[in-house]
Amino acid sequence: MEVKKRLSILQPGSLLITVIMLALAIVMIIPFLWMISTSLKTPSEVFKYPIEWIPSNLTWEHHQKVWSGAKSFGTYYLNSLKISIIGMVGATFLSAFAAYGFARIDFKGRNTLFLLYLSMMMIPPQVLFVPKFIMFEWAGIYNTHLALILPGLFTIFGVFMLRQFFLSIPNEISESAFIDGAGHFRIFFRLILPLAKPALATLAIIDFSWQWNDYENALVFLIDENLYTVPLGLQNFILENTVDYNGMMAAASAGIIPMIIVFAIGQRYIIQGLTNSAVKG
Amino acid sequence: MRKKGLVSRMVSLVLVVGMIAGCSNSSGTDAQTGASENSGDTVKLKMWGGVPPEAGPQAVIDVWNKEHPETQIEYVRYVNDDEGNLKLDTAIMTGQDVDLFVNYTISHTAKRVASGAAADLSSFTDYNIDEKMGADAEGWKIDGKYYGVPTTKSTYFVALNKDALDAANLPVPKDWTWDEMREYAKKLKKDKGYGFIQNTEPFVDSIDSVLSQEGYTKADGTSNLDHPMVRKWLETLNAMMVEDKTTPPLGEQLTSKMPVEQMFLSGEVPMLNIGAWLLRSSNNFTDYPRDFTIAFAPVPRLSEDKDGYVMRGGLGDYISINAKSKHQEAAWEFLKWYADGGMAPMAEGGRFPASKDADQDKAMESMLGDKKDTYDQESLMYVMFDYQTPTYVRTVPQEVMDLRAQEYEKYFLGVQDLDATLSAMVTRHNDFLKTAK
Amino acid sequence: MHNNWMRRQRMLGYIFVGPNMLGVLLFFLIPAVYSFGLMFTDYKFMNPDMTFIGLDNIKRLMKDPLFFLSLRNTLIFLLAVPVSIVIGFIVAVILNQKIYLKKLLRGLYFMPYITSGVAVAFVWMLMFQPNQGPINGFLRSIGVDNPPGWLSTTTSSMYAIDIIWIWFMLGYNMIIYLAALQEVSSELLEAAKIDGARPLQILRRIIWPLVSPTTFLLLVTGLIMAIKTFGIIQATTQGGPGNSTTILSLYVYQNAFRYYDMGYAATVSWALFAIILLITVLQWVGQKRWVHY
Repeated sequence: MEVKKRLSILQPGSLLITVIMLALAIVMIIPFLWMISTSLKTPSEVFKYPIEWIPSNLTWEHHQKVWSGAKSFGTYYLNSLKISIIGMVGATFLSAFAAYGFARIDFKGRNTLFLLYLSMMMIPPQVLFVPKFIMFEWAGIYNTHLALILPGLFTIFGVFMLRQFFLSIPNEISESAFIDGAGHFRIFFRLILPLAKPALATLAIIDFSWQWNDYENALVFLIDENLYTVPLGLQNFILENTVDYNGMMAAASAGIIPMIIVFAIGQRYIIQGLTNSAVKG
Repeated sequence: MRKKGLVSRMVSLVLVVGMIAGCSNSSGTDAQTGASENSGDTVKLKMWGGVPPEAGPQAVIDVWNKEHPETQIEYVRYVNDDEGNLKLDTAIMTGQDVDLFVNYTISHTAKRVASGAAADLSSFTDYNIDEKMGADAEGWKIDGKYYGVPTTKSTYFVALNKDALDAANLPVPKDWTWDEMREYAKKLKKDKGYGFIQNTEPFVDSIDSVLSQEGYTKADGTSNLDHPMVRKWLETLNAMMVEDKTTPPLGEQLTSKMPVEQMFLSGEVPMLNIGAWLLRSSNNFTDYPRDFTIAFAPVPRLSEDKDGYVMRGGLGDYISINAKSKHQEAAWEFLKWYADGGMAPMAEGGRFPASKDADQDKAMESMLGDKKDTYDQESLMYVMFDYQTPTYVRTVPQEVMDLRAQEYEKYFLGVQDLDATLSAMVTRHNDFLKTAK
Repeated sequence: MHNNWMRRQRMLGYIFVGPNMLGVLLFFLIPAVYSFGLMFTDYKFMNPDMTFIGLDNIKRLMKDPLFFLSLRNTLIFLLAVPVSIVIGFIVAVILNQKIYLKKLLRGLYFMPYITSGVAVAFVWMLMFQPNQGPINGFLRSIGVDNPPGWLSTTTSSMYAIDIIWIWFMLGYNMIIYLAALQEVSSELLEAAKIDGARPLQILRRIIWPLVSPTTFLLLVTGLIMAIKTFGIIQATTQGGPGNSTTILSLYVYQNAFRYYDMGYAATVSWALFAIILLITVLQWVGQKRWVHY
């Protein structure tokens, strides 16, 4: 019955389209396949053509090197997880809060403020490094995870994105609640947030991947190797092994594959979140 | 009333953020003071260097720490690139623990000296740097003073696959020009392979060897980057890339981060322009199995004329003491010990001690290790000790290195002709000289 | 009484926006003001001497050929944004249909986006290797005698970066469109179908206008994201060969963290800001013509 609700402009069950889309999807993930395959090869086989997707001399040596180095990727993972999860939850909630204010409440100076917000988004992050650096140093959070977590709680993009979604939710819904005497807080928590689940889920995963992959901030604000995040550990590994293509690819796999697993598990919920809103009609 | 509610909410939020920040701050300092209290009289020093710990530094420090329980050194590795240097500089500027740091270029050192980060070593009178390190140390003086100790002897050379040379009946050159090297490359080239490759670090050494003598600017203060020898270098190298196909096109080399060491050590390319750090990989038979003998030749010169030729070299690994370090005395003790032989394990990675008091035979022993027989030792001794030419240490600002590189890359890629390249270099260099003033 | 209640509800706007605004103030606005001040100084990182030099940095910018070259490269880079949006839209519409393996396909298309970063840039760099790389290997095997040099020539390098960017952003655009498509009422489409509208007509006349707020969002944020990016380029070409992939953000980074020339870096980045602002204002004004709320 869910199927019946789905908007459809094509003939149902087009096998041909499935095949075409699958072929394109495989093209999309070829870099990953090549990466994994190269990480299992010996140096002399890297550039062999035609590509041996499954190497004849399978070797795990490069992966071992990545995981058994002086500093383990395990620490990097814990650090990255901590920063990304706190950041994701905080940023999603704070963005939703602010986005509601911008989308649904007609307060004085709203539009000016929103434009100011947008303009902040346009500031290249490189500009902010030096002043932020001085500030963090002053506040004593330089070279701690807080230097990444605190700014990570605020995303202007998130506010913008959720505002656009909130705007598309019909006004009548909250108007009738208003007449029933509900205030903005109730409307926000009881009506809007549940309706915005797909948008929230989308923002959450996008924000998570941003935080997970953030390299520049970690680079500038962290010194202590025990605090390193995955991208930083990865880049370090790559820089120290520039001539070792296989090792580079093994390190790249180490940085990527867990994300793919997380996504593979999580995507069921995301897709569910996405389709749930269709049911609301 | 309502307004006050809003304001107080805002204020409490600021407080919360402040508290989080404050907490982390106090816990941070607690940890630090706690550590120094526990350790009693022990002085703890942090030394920042660009060599991976396992390539020597860890072994050096283990020896020191065992012999000197009162001063414990910890080695922090930074990658010697833009980001790594930035990290070191921010650590210094923000008063993180940096007691000793290794500089690899004069332009980095100059910045650190200007900011007051490197201690002036003339207050320590018990170690004569000039006498210990010889005349080459002079190149590292900044405004007539030492702000660090140059510890290694930098040797640059062309590494040769001796088996390939023998097969082609070519002698190991003792002194040669670019034109001769080009002929070698042609004769050694095997069908689609190359005859000569270069590590990107010493790529421009040949032109700097000319300009360091003739001056980067002319007498009237304008750029000298259109020197005839620069032209000659561009032409020769370009001919090798395009006509002879004996050396890889630059664009390809750069964008694929060509593993030149591996290409040389696997026997694929017979000549490699590099420096002593090659030994780090050439001693490593696990990752770079090799079945030929390596011989060494001096870096070829551009001019036919041997007089006035200087070669890149001199001293390197300039170790400074942080001017803000609380333990400068202890750091100085360590530094002297390091320079006078403590650094011996570094030789394994090609870092040869410069001090006359260091045991050079022992260093040579440790540099070649059990792979001794896979090197042509006669030519190695020759490039390291006997090839008597004056040396220079590169002093060009990074900006000039970059603008030069950007223009010659366009030339080697064939999108800009020779004259346009030279004149673009000169114009941009002149512009730089103006803004730098 | 009721008026009072309404007014209080309106005041709540500040409370909703407040917490986020505080962070924006701390981590964006204050640093931004600071860096604006830097523009008028010759501040060099690590150098304690700093003097006020008025508009000298701006004069230098106006005469700096590298700035204009970087600007040109940036514009070529931005071509990737609309292309990836259109492709993302098409993929999203198809993956919203009744086709097999839908979940798997969505996951596959989204994968590049979650695995962004330096690592993937390295993978591409090796794949683009002109002589031995797998991409040119494939092209030669299907009879292309002179495959492009990709990252290794000044003429093709920027487009090669565009390809990486499109590949990377496609899944992101797709997933946001997918979320938006859930809002499109299926009754409307049913009605259109009953009226005999053809699939392409429905796509162009109904779906595309209905998701236009999302398109607008993606265009604005996509352009901004692209303009700010530099990780991919830093990891692959560092702006070369020549200066062919030096885009403005990279030029800012180089000035700030390679040459430590913070004053000039601030100037270039404010020029970059002015460009982003101009593009965004143009879009904001232009949106009335095609965005339907």
